[in-house]
Amino acid sequence: MDGVSYARTPRIKIRELKDDYVKFELRDTDPSIANALRRVMIAEVPTIAIDLVEIEVNSTVLNDEFIAHRVGLIPLTSERAMSMRFSRDCDACDGDGQCEFCSVEFHLRVKCMTDQTLDVTSKDLYSSDHTVVPVDFTDPTGLDSSENRGIIIVKLRRGQELRLRAIARKGIGKDHAKWSPAATVTFMYEPEIHINEDLMETLTFEEKKEWVESSPTRVFELDPVTQQVVVVDPEAYTYDDEVIKKAEAMGKPGLVDVIARQDSFIFTVESTGAIKASQLVLNAIEILKQKLDAVRLSEDTVEADDQFGELGAHMRGG
Amino acid sequence: MGKPGAAPNYEPLRELLKPHIESFDHMVEAGLDTMFQHVKPVEIYDHHSDKKLRIWLSNPELFPPQKERSSKTMREALLPFECRQAKISYTGKFTADVCFQYDDGAIIRRKFNLGQFPIMLQSKLCNLRGADPRKLVSYKEEASEMGGYFVLNGLERVARLLIMPKRNYPMSLVRNSFSDRREGYTDKAVVIRCVREDQSALTVKLYYLRNGSARLGFWMRGREFLLPVGVVLKALIDTTDYEIHKKLTCCYNDKYAKGKGAVGTPLVGERAKIILDEVRDLALFTRVQCLEHIGEHFQAIMDGLENDSYSIVAETILKDYIFVHLDNNFDKFNLLIFMLQKLFSLIDQTSVPDNPDSLQNQEILLPGHLITIYLKEKLEDWLQKAKRLLLDEINDRSKSKKSNTFNFCIVEHIMNVMNKNPARQISQAVENMLKTGRLVSQTGLDLQQRAGYTVQAERLNYLRFLSHFRAVHRGASFAGLRTTTVRKLLPESWGFLCPVHTPDGEPCGLLNHMTSTCRVTTFFDAQGNIKDYFKLKASILDILFKGGMPQSVPNLFQAGPPEVLNVLLDGRVVGYIPSSEVEKTVANLRSIKVSSALEIPDDLEIGYVPLSMGGAYPGLYLFTSASRFIRPVRNISIPSNGSENIELIGPFEQVFMEIRCPDGGDGGRKSAIPATHEEIHPTGMMSVVANLTPWSDHNQSPRNMYQCQMAKQTMAFSLQTLQHRADQKLYHLQTPQTPIVRTSSYTKYNIDRYPTGTNAIVAVLAYTGYDMEDAMILNKSSVERGMFHGQIYQTETIDLTDQRSKTDNSTRMFRRSNIDKPGCSVLDSDGLPYVGQMIHPDEPYCSIYNEVTSTSHTYKKKGSEPSYVDYVAFDVKNKKHLQKVNIRFRHPRNPVIGDKFSSRHGQKGVCSQLWPDIDMPFSGNTGMRPDLIINPHAFPSRMTIAMLLESVAAKGGSLHGHFVDATPFPSSMKKDGEESGSEDSLVDELGVLLREKGFNYHGVEVLYSGVYGTELTCEIFIGPVYYQRLRHMVSDKFQVRSTGTVDQVTRQPIKGRKRGGGIRFGEMERDSLLAHGAAYLLHDRLHTCSDHHIADVCSLCGSILTATFMQPQKRPVREIGGLPPGKAVRKVYCHACQTSKGMETVAMPYVFRYLAAELAAMNIKLTLKLRNGAGDGA
Repeated sequence: MDGVSYARTPRIKIRELKDDYVKFELRDTDPSIANALRRVMIAEVPTIAIDLVEIEVNSTVLNDEFIAHRVGLIPLTSERAMSMRFSRDCDACDGDGQCEFCSVEFHLRVKCMTDQTLDVTSKDLYSSDHTVVPVDFTDPTGLDSSENRGIIIVKLRRGQELRLRAIARKGIGKDHAKWSPAATVTFMYEPEIHINEDLMETLTFEEKKEWVESSPTRVFELDPVTQQVVVVDPEAYTYDDEVIKKAEAMGKPGLVDVIARQDSFIFTVESTGAIKASQLVLNAIEILKQKLDAVRLSEDTVEADDQFGELGAHMRGG
Repeated sequence: MGKPGAAPNYEPLRELLKPHIESFDHMVEAGLDTMFQHVKPVEIYDHHSDKKLRIWLSNPELFPPQKERSSKTMREALLPFECRQAKISYTGKFTADVCFQYDDGAIIRRKFNLGQFPIMLQSKLCNLRGADPRKLVSYKEEASEMGGYFVLNGLERVARLLIMPKRNYPMSLVRNSFSDRREGYTDKAVVIRCVREDQSALTVKLYYLRNGSARLGFWMRGREFLLPVGVVLKALIDTTDYEIHKKLTCCYNDKYAKGKGAVGTPLVGERAKIILDEVRDLALFTRVQCLEHIGEHFQAIMDGLENDSYSIVAETILKDYIFVHLDNNFDKFNLLIFMLQKLFSLIDQTSVPDNPDSLQNQEILLPGHLITIYLKEKLEDWLQKAKRLLLDEINDRSKSKKSNTFNFCIVEHIMNVMNKNPARQISQAVENMLKTGRLVSQTGLDLQQRAGYTVQAERLNYLRFLSHFRAVHRGASFAGLRTTTVRKLLPESWGFLCPVHTPDGEPCGLLNHMTSTCRVTTFFDAQGNIKDYFKLKASILDILFKGGMPQSVPNLFQAGPPEVLNVLLDGRVVGYIPSSEVEKTVANLRSIKVSSALEIPDDLEIGYVPLSMGGAYPGLYLFTSASRFIRPVRNISIPSNGSENIELIGPFEQVFMEIRCPDGGDGGRKSAIPATHEEIHPTGMMSVVANLTPWSDHNQSPRNMYQCQMAKQTMAFSLQTLQHRADQKLYHLQTPQTPIVRTSSYTKYNIDRYPTGTNAIVAVLAYTGYDMEDAMILNKSSVERGMFHGQIYQTETIDLTDQRSKTDNSTRMFRRSNIDKPGCSVLDSDGLPYVGQMIHPDEPYCSIYNEVTSTSHTYKKKGSEPSYVDYVAFDVKNKKHLQKVNIRFRHPRNPVIGDKFSSRHGQKGVCSQLWPDIDMPFSGNTGMRPDLIINPHAFPSRMTIAMLLESVAAKGGSLHGHFVDATPFPSSMKKDGEESGSEDSLVDELGVLLREKGFNYHGVEVLYSGVYGTELTCEIFIGPVYYQRLRHMVSDKFQVRSTGTVDQVTRQPIKGRKRGGGIRFGEMERDSLLAHGAAYLLHDRLHTCSDHHIADVCSLCGSILTATFMQPQKRPVREIGGLPPGKAVRKVYCHACQTSKGMETVAMPYVFRYLAAELAAMNIKLTLKLRNGAGDGA
């Protein structure tokens, strides 16, 4: 394999982009890279979440830990997270985690004075930093905004009160799920579907119809005019092998051939709202790069240069 | 699911507890009155004034629980929640009139306070009765609070429902113990448990003797007395030998000899002769002679009848001890004749013995009845004691004339004497009985056990709480039995006791649970009025007379089966019906019963035992009594006319009825015997808890049993009123969910108010190896997001009045010690902790200050983990100082490795890892990672198919957004308008749901490895399954020790987790180490880490006990070179040899030394021969 370069130039093509949703293709790379990207997006892209809660008054029905837990799970806008410091690394505050470089302070003071049940929501959390606030899920179009009051923390009846001070810090999903910016990250191998047209023609219209319907998702379609089976949506295929099994059951093995491409992936990323989905992908790539740098620049790696052989050059940035 | 916002219907729940509440209600309304009438008056004769005083009780009155208040005018209702918090009993005042009558003078009534009587919650006297859910919540109770239990010292206790032999039914028994009674007795007898109107019972046994005669046995004062049956027969009524002979032999007729249903044989005549000869041999011919014969023998032990004639004594015996359920001697005579016939038939094997273990011959002991009979005995005891006190007083007075002012003729003086034995103790005795479950009784009340009558109603979770009220115990005496016959599941219990819901292990089969439809008869009719038994019985008789029963009552027994069938109504022989007419009469009775006409109780048991070849003894046995099991079935022999025709049947009659399954088939019956009844729903045969298992008909049956067990030990949402509780320990699940796959019982019993688990996404695959052997992997992120989070609430009660005995109570108070500064103490100035504060182990949580000694005592938190103060409550009775404090702690119990979880199908497992989310397998199209991974090996041998179905169904249900009904046995219900025979498999219904949403038909999905991102080889079965968190948690169980406390005597480590002890390294563990040859480890465990000890042994005499320390001689201490003097070498010498020459040190277990000392105490000397190990080559 001498002389063969492993260097590849992965490409990303964005198909769909919303604030909290992105769908993109990742081509010319390996499953390991795709999965690494997925893992980093879930567990290692930092966000800001409430980590320390000091309860001053709590006369609600929920106990202190429960409320602290709920408050911790509220997603906060974390665009700043990448540039913030982990409070354990923060030298400005000596690790007590209460300085502006590594923490954001929140206050919540609610008391129910009426007979109507009062909902304490994430909107009642007041931040010391306007860039780090609970995620606003109201429809940007402004429709029925009165309805949407944010994430509910606890409900109060008359006379009950909740007063707390909370400190939000930077963290990653590996430490606690509350720091995970991703609601869902998944990828699929891009399928290549080949229909054996000759064999297909041996089927009657009814058989074709039956075969097409054997797939739980709408991958194939039967053109009513031409009576031809066409692949309408290869990505709807879930690798469930239903159609292959069906073909075998019909006595036509090899009717269709599905190959999962090992170098092309379709990613679906949903964000919790802490950071924009697109930013999540970018941050993940950045983190991945940093991690690789860490490996590359560590002394062990430099010493053991030879063992990487061809890869060594890549690792040194060559 | 009911409509959101609609008021939930708690009636089905209340129905479950009715036996408890109604029996107590009856006691309050009528039972006490009846019982008081049956309490025997006492008579005291004072020879001094020549007056006879008669004392008896009447007019019992129970009052609702009220608070003790200083102001007498304002009475405030005491509420159960206050009792729970203050750890007091929920009791109401109990008063009664004591009536005094001198000779035949006027009756003098005096009200006596009989103390504070425990009141059952939600009974008619309870302050919660009739409160709607809203009101109950304002009383700080559950909205669905159903009562049925007592609150005693703050604890909730339920009366255990016990199985009793069926009352007033003569049962033929074969028991080896009968033949041991005395010489000449056989193992056969007919036994009847007679129950009086006041619920007190007395068992009478009719033994068969080898010589052909019979003896009537009854218990009196803890002894069994045996009377020749002929004497009793003659003593009961004026009769002739001819009549007795005729009546006994009427059951035999040549015509039907050995025909179907013939019970008599020619031998009956012989036996009748033997019985009559016995009486003749005693020279007893007339009734009077028989009575005197009995009276002569019993007068000595009959209290209060010492001066009466023999006949009166005998009459009393017959009235109070023989067939006490009947009050007419004619009836008793007839019943005895019937029992003799049944006994002879048993001997002649023309009928089989009855099975006392079968539900057919059983009933239940209800709390109201138990309390009534216990109270009766206590009242009688009290009267007897009063009598004794009065007699003592009379005797005292005659001895010392001057000093005593006691006057027998003044009621106040009598009362003063009686009050030496305070009447308040009567209620106290009842309360103690309920508190401990122990009967303190001389007679035993004809019950088979002394202890175990009440149990604590644990609120671990709702299902466990509910089960306490539905549990039926066979009796403590059976628990020790070696045989398994009593534990067997008999077909007779079909529909009454749940075949699934019984614990495995020790109480298996003894502790059963009533089915969800099973009820117990009470004294109340459907309208809630107390039944008028006199009227009901009269109308039943009326119907029987119309049905062909001759009305000539005194001259019964003109013939016997198979010609005619005897009719017994509640143990009274009321006549006979020609066998040709019986079926018609029975059908007629049933139709009237179903029509809910008031002349016949709707729970009348029509036990028609048909004629058979040597089967059960035939007859028509009617029961109207209370505390029988009943259950509803549909009567299909009566034209429906729009009504449902629900008939309540009992286990006695059920055996002889034809009840079919409602699947529309005939159940394999021949057309000659068509089904007359139909089950309402097949789930009616299971208990409430068993009914909550989805599709339990698809599971292997033991798995359903395990689930019933585990459902009751689930950490769940135990209470809605957690804020107001002061239970010792409460488990609480923080974020429970309602199951997606649910049976109809969830809605019916409002189980959603107390959910027991979480719908977890479960993947079935072998991943990482951490899911081997029933271990399971939890998704770390899921747990971090709150899955299965929970806490334990634990309450400590500190009562200063408890410690009053030691010092005066005024000197002790809750206060922080003066030494503590306000800033650094964890306690507030009142000596109590702050709410919400975290308390670490060994930190104080409460401080008590003693004013006199000005010292303070703090309570320290035990355990090994920090906890939070959840709640502090104190009493406000004493305005100045607090006396009682409840401190509730909250221990967080979030899932950790080692915690136990289970699905609803008996599939329990232990969490082996909290696995990172990113390493969990994920689904390619949805991106979903499972919450929980279990191993596929959990399924093949356990065959819990319903769990797989649940997974598929819940997946489909959640995709479509609806709940899935998983009521078992759906195919056994004939659906209206549906063709029978549509054999659609359940999977086919569920698979379609998935396919519609683009999922695999069989519930599998393609998953990708979370670590590598590659597709897993197999498609993985994944879907939501309702998982429960069991209460067994490592945090409460782990035991760690390196060194620590040791036993005083042996110096070995102590045991017990609480005390920081070790776990026993026992013999078998030792064996395994030996087998491994791990000698060093063995030595370490058994010696070094245990009671390692270096003993001084005298090699000359070989003793280890004689080593004595030498007193170090006082030498002037010299400092050498400014250094402190070297430590003097301990010198030991042998006390026996008076020398220190041969002293050696030997390592040995300390117990060995102890053994030597013990042996020395027995004058056995233990000597050691010491040898140098190195030199010992051999």
